[in-house]
Amino acid sequence: MKKLMHILFLSCLKATELIEKKIYFKLSIREIWQLKVHKSMCQACTNYEKQSYLIEKAISHMENIQSDKIEIDVESFKKSILGKLKQ
Amino acid sequence: MTVVETPDLSVLVEQYAGDLYKRAFFKVSDSEMAKDLVQDTFMAAAEKISTFKGESTPKTWLFSILNNKIIDYYRAKVVRPYHYNTQSFSNFFTEEGDWRPEKKPGNWNEDEGHLLDDAEFNVTLKMCLDALPAKWSLSIKLKYLMEKESEEICQELGVSTTNFWQIMHRAKLQLRDCLDSNWHRKI
Repeated sequence: MKKLMHILFLSCLKATELIEKKIYFKLSIREIWQLKVHKSMCQACTNYEKQSYLIEKAISHMENIQSDKIEIDVESFKKSILGKLKQ
Repeated sequence: MTVVETPDLSVLVEQYAGDLYKRAFFKVSDSEMAKDLVQDTFMAAAEKISTFKGESTPKTWLFSILNNKIIDYYRAKVVRPYHYNTQSFSNFFTEEGDWRPEKKPGNWNEDEGHLLDDAEFNVTLKMCLDALPAKWSLSIKLKYLMEKESEEICQELGVSTTNFWQIMHRAKLQLRDCLDSNWHRKI
């Protein structure tokens, strides 16, 4: 029974794979439908999809916030570059 | 005809070395490597400065040189062949493909807008990204940090498109799990 369900409506492994595939490529009609039915029955994969999109967004968003952090002595770094350029 | 003034490199170092370093550090997560990349950028700029046409600002020009240096850096790190097998999913899924009970994604109950600007969340995310095995984080870095198209990344890594989303799938599972245990469970 379970096997049949997996074949018809995907295993969680396959469902999460399609969730990732969807981000980069187009799914077939069959895949779209299978994923939809799977999610309607599976809270874990529904959560996974939400969090996956959130992670996507967060990664592209990260640069804007982190870029003001700097942990080196900029002045001496500039001097060392200028020194190298003169060689 | 307008005469393009050749920019003075030492002025450019003064003005942009800090910004270039920040960008490089963000992309390679290694201070020494970031410094080397910025230094290489200025060395390359010194060689090419006579050909600088003023079609872009000196700043854009320098950043594009840096970007190429960063891409070269990642390209050199790519190890072929790119191994991928379903075995590596066994941490998360049973043999039948069901979630392992302890790995089932729960609800994060988070307000998305708030989360994206949450400093602690972002620090954890960065940490989790850096903790990924090189071969997975590489595809993520090429994708987001280099803003490359999926097809381009596949070419660069020498993988098929199928392989690519499977790699991203594996990486995402790991990343989600890392965030779940290091950030989410804390609150």
